[in-house]
Parts: sequence; C-alpha cells; structure tokens
Amino acid sequence: MEYLIGRRTFVGAGLAVFIARHAAAQPVFRLGLTPVFLDNDAAIIDGLRRALSRGMGREIELVQRRTYQEITGLLLERSVDAAWLCGYPYLQHADLLDLVAVPVWRGGPRYQSYLIVGAEDGAEALSDLQGGTHAFSDPDSNSGYLVTATDLRRMGEQVEGFFSRSIFTFGHRNVVRAVADGLVRSGSVDGYVWEALAVIEPGLTARTRVIARSEWLGFPPVCARRDSLASEPVQALQTALMNLAETEEGRQALASLQLDGFQQADPALFDGIAVRMADLEP
Amino acid sequence: MKWFAPIPLSIKLPLLAAAMMVLVGTVASQQVLRSLAQVQDARIQELARMHVEGLSVALGPLVLRHDIWEVYDTLDRAAQGSEGRRMVLTAVADERGKVLAATDPRRVPMDSDIAALASDAVALDDLSVDGASNILSLLAPLTYQGRTVGQIATELDVADLLSERRQALLYLIMGNAVAIGFLSMAGFLAIRRMLKPVTTLARQMTETKGEPHPIPAADIPRGDGELARLARTYNSMVGAVAAKAEAERRLAERERFVALGRLSSSLAHEINNPLGGLLNATDTIRSYPDRPEVVRQSADLLDRGLRHLRDVTRATLDQNRMDPETRALTSDDFEDIKLLIQPEVSRLALDLEWSVDPAAVIGCSLSAGPVRQIALNLLLNACSAAGQNGCVGLMARTTDGNLSLKITNTGASMPQAALDRLLGDGPLLPGGGVGLRLVRDLAKTMGGAVCHAQENGVTRVTVTLPASWEARDAKG
Repeated sequence: MEYLIGRRTFVGAGLAVFIARHAAAQPVFRLGLTPVFLDNDAAIIDGLRRALSRGMGREIELVQRRTYQEITGLLLERSVDAAWLCGYPYLQHADLLDLVAVPVWRGGPRYQSYLIVGAEDGAEALSDLQGGTHAFSDPDSNSGYLVTATDLRRMGEQVEGFFSRSIFTFGHRNVVRAVADGLVRSGSVDGYVWEALAVIEPGLTARTRVIARSEWLGFPPVCARRDSLASEPVQALQTALMNLAETEEGRQALASLQLDGFQQADPALFDGIAVRMADLEP
Repeated sequence: MKWFAPIPLSIKLPLLAAAMMVLVGTVASQQVLRSLAQVQDARIQELARMHVEGLSVALGPLVLRHDIWEVYDTLDRAAQGSEGRRMVLTAVADERGKVLAATDPRRVPMDSDIAALASDAVALDDLSVDGASNILSLLAPLTYQGRTVGQIATELDVADLLSERRQALLYLIMGNAVAIGFLSMAGFLAIRRMLKPVTTLARQMTETKGEPHPIPAADIPRGDGELARLARTYNSMVGAVAAKAEAERRLAERERFVALGRLSSSLAHEINNPLGGLLNATDTIRSYPDRPEVVRQSADLLDRGLRHLRDVTRATLDQNRMDPETRALTSDDFEDIKLLIQPEVSRLALDLEWSVDPAAVIGCSLSAGPVRQIALNLLLNACSAAGQNGCVGLMARTTDGNLSLKITNTGASMPQAALDRLLGDGPLLPGGGVGLRLVRDLAKTMGGAVCHAQENGVTRVTVTLPASWEARDAKG
C-alpha cells in the first residue's frame, strides 16, 4: 500500500499535517475565572490575559460566569481548559480535578475568610449577628460561605435559622458593598479580596469592619481536569504561571492582583477546607 | 368708589390704564405659570414613567426570582447614573409588598413593608409638582411579561423644578413690574397729552377772571378731532359772548347819549325860557338907568332868573356825575328830580302828582345815587308813556321800614319788551333801551324788588328798597 502513495498524495498529506500542526500549535486557551474581586476591573483581567498569553505563546480567552458552579461545570465538561477555582469546589470534585498552581499571597499560598459588619455596627462575634441579615458570596465559595456555615454548625446553628435572611451576591466585592451600603448587616468575604479592596477602594472597606478571621486556608487554586493535566496547553499554563514574575508584563499583572506569584500546590494545602466540609456533612 | 370721583380725569384715566395693565400682566403671568406647571408635570411624569419602565424591564426577572443582590445592584447602578440625582430613593417590593431592596437600604430595610414608605405616594398619572414639598412619592406596579410581579416606590427630588418655578414667578413679577411701570408712565403721559386740550378748556373757562378767554391757536389740537372741534366751538362761543358784551356796552352808551340829549334839550329849554325875561330886564336897566326902583326890580328879576339857571345846572351836574354817589338820600334829591323832569312835564303839559314823605326818605339811609337814577329813569319813562296832557305821579313812602317808590302814569300800557326788561333777567333784545333794565339791576343790587300793575288805564310801577342795616339798627 505504501508504494501506492504518490508524490502528489504525499505532498498533500504533508501540507495537511503542517496545517493541522500549525493550528494545534496555536489553539485558543480557555481559562475560566471565578468571580473574585478582579472581575470588576477589565484592565486587571486584560493584563493577566496578555501576560499569560505571552508566557504560553498562544491566545488566551478568559471565561467568566456569574457563579462558581457555572465555571466548575464548564471545566468539568471541558468547555474551558483550566479554571481559577476555589478550594471548596476543587475538593468537591477532587476525583476529576487536579491542581495546576496556587497563588502566593503575602508570602504564602494561604488566605483567610473574614466576617465583616458595617463600620458602625457594635457586633464583636458571629454570635452577635443572630437575627440579622447576612450576605454570602457564593454557595460554592469557601471563604464566602463554607467557613461561616461551618462556624454556625459548630455553634449548633443553621444558616437559615440563625440569620433572618441570607443572600448570595455572587462576588466578594459585592459582599463588601452589601455590608457597606447597609443592605445586610454582615457578610462572609474572602480575606484576600477584602485586603486588596482596602488598597484600591479604601473608601468602600472603611465602611465595614472585620469582626472575625478564620484560620489560614488554602488559597483558591488554578485547576484543570486530572486527565488533561499533562497536556501541553495545561503544562504551558503552569509554566507561564510559575514564570509570571519573571516578565515585566507578568509582574504588572501580579501587582494588579496584589499577588506575589504562583507556585506548585500540594493537595494537603486544602486540608483545612476539607475539615470544614466534613463538618458540614449532615 | 366715592373716593375715586374727585380725582381729576388726567390722573384717573392713567390709573385705570395702569390697573388694566396690572390685571393683564397678572392674568398673563398666571397663564405662564400654569403652562410651566403643566410642562413640568409632563416632564416629571415622563421621567418617572421611563424610570419605572426601565426598572421593570431590568428588574422583572430578578424580582420574580427574589434575587435581592441583583435587584439592589441594578437599583444602585441606576441611581448612580440617574440624571441630576432626580430619584433620591427607589425601593422595590415583591408582590406581597415586602421590600426586596432599596437604593438606601438603611432607610428602607430588606423585608420591610413598602406601604410604610408609600403612604403619601401617588400613581404615575397623578404625579404633579404641586409646590407643597420638594419630594414627590410615586408608587407604581412592577410589570414583567404582562404580569404584576412587584411594586416600585420612588421618591423624586423636584426642588430644582420648584426653584425654577419660583424663579419664573420672580422674573415674571419683576418683568411685569418694569413693563407695567414703563407702560403706565407712557400711558399716563400719553393720556395727559391727549387730555391737555380739555385741561386748557377747563382752565380757560374757570380760572379766567371777569370774562372767558379764547384758547390760543397753538393749544388747539391739529386735525378735526372732537377736541379740536370742541376748542374751536369754545372759541366761537367766547367770541359771541364778547360781541354781545360789546353790543350791550354800545347800547348803554347810546342810551346814555339819548338821556344826555334829552336832558340837554330840557336844559336848553329851561335856560331859554327865562333868557327872554332876563334880556328884557337888562334892556330895562339900560333904558332906565336913572330910575332906581326900575333898576332894582329888574335886578331882582335877573337874580331870580340866574338862581333858577344855577339850580337847573347844579341838578343836571349832580345827575350826570361820573363817580357813583355815596351820600345818603335826602328830600332835596327828589326836588332835584322834580326840577330835572320839569321841562318834560312842561313840554307835554303833564299833570304832575308829587308826594314825598321827607321823614321816610331820611329814615331809610339809602345812597342817593341809585335812588335818583331809579326815580329819574322811571319818571322819564312815565312822561314818555303818558303823552300830551297825561298824568304822571310819584309817591315816596315807607312800608315796614322799606322805602317804597310808586311811579304812576296814564296813557298806553307798557309794551311787553319793556316789561321784560324791567321785570326779567333775560337777554336784551336789540333795539330796546337799557334804562328799565338799569332800574331792575340797581334795585336788585340794593336788595329791592320791582312790581308792575295796570289798573283803569293807570300804569303803576312800584320799587321797594329795603332800608340799609344802619337804619334798621337805629330803629331796632
């Protein structure tokens, strides 16, 4: 059969392979983003996209959705190649997902959940907030839901019974706004987001007060499907993330995100979250 | 309105014009303000409708899902972008009236009752900038896909519209005040100018002493308007009055000359009569200078004749003295009158009945001049009326302290024209004398009255003159 392959066929096949390889060499990489604070600032998102795009040598499309669940769903169904998730959904789907990298914030890959109230509010602890209204970020957010829900469970309370009404704002910045504007009395927010907002929007955070901080927990990681972790695009993403601090564009993007960089992540980093998840089990 | 009547026309009319302008200005201002209010109401209703409709579209599905954060976020962003912060507060409630979110969550908390906020709210079509408050409350249903899923309560800040309205009112008042002031002043001057001929006419008629003066030609308005015709008519009237006065003056002059002529002829006759005797006496003296008794008789005759001439001339001089006589009446005055009419009596061979009560004449203390003139005029008239061989009489008596002069004559009765002159104040017809009118005028001046009677062919004219107050005091 191989002798039947003519020169014209060979050239045509070679051209087809070249075109296919060229297309495969430059596929658009789709990276999902959960609604963290940066989703409000197009410049920050664009800076990150350009820095990663250069690092990976290909176009990157950042995919945003309203909820964690939607982004996690996109990742699971391979509509995105990787996603910057939260430790909670990562652990929820640990059998299918794996860690690509974890951000380094203030020297470590950890962060806290903050319980905030209005600046004029006299509450000092979670127990003082009984009967009030409360804002969560997302039902799949560790810092924006899981921590407070497990704290209440540990107090023998349920979210539904403890607060007169709780709402989801689907964004950590929105939790801070809801508390600052008085829409709700208290809120559960990502400590990293609150601290970052304190730098770029001090007027907003000044109208809130942190009354409780959780233990240090694993920072929201960048995840990919376990079965695609070894794929070239994901590896390229990992490399680009690790080397972000080495380029000017990367440094600018990290500075905008107020992060130090990215590092390899160990699943044990999220044990604290796992413990809380276990506490929430019925 | 009695207070309005005494105000001169030249003030009244401009005032009325100004009042009319104020009225018109007020009505016009009212109309402008009403239009402005309608425009503002339409504007605020349109704005509120767009606000509600926009929110309904944006919030419909969110309210349906009770997505509180998204409702709040949408309201907050809408409030940030709203024009001039017109919407000071917007609250959205679910179909049960429980607030989902409001732009000011502290004021309108989640789950509160929207009725508490919307107690004084009105529907969209009833929205009106009525000036009572700077804030309008609106309550409208939140309709999504043809179904009411909630309610929207909005508070609109209309302070700027009210301020605009107040400013418009202020500008209108100021503008109207200036316009009315200017127009009133212009109207005042214009009407004053138009009424100037009337003012001039009134002044010429009332302020000129003695007799009216014509309006100068320069003051007569041009053209053939009513006022020009009025001024020209007035001038014609003044001319006619002056001509009439001149005619009367000439008539009086003529009458005076007639009287003088009559007196002159009487005087000539009176002087001529004794002249023959006097010349005879001088001839006698020349013929018999050596007969003393003849000379003495002739000298006596001359003396009597000359004395008579002296009396006649003195009486004539007294009667025609130019200045009015102010001395009191005496019985000698009646003697003078008798002397003055004597030539007429003799010429006509009249029978003269003379009866003067000296006590009555002296007691009434009247001025001699007017009484003499009255008696002489009436007697001369009576002589003329009595004719040849007639009978003329004078009787002077006092009745109730008043002097009564009764002049009688036989002959033809007094003609109507003469009676009109003697008894009435009507205008003098041309051709008649003024002696009888003079009698009437003098008697009236002295407070007396003139009566006329005709009985059995005898004409009797009675002049009653009241005694002067000094005489009445003396009697009292």
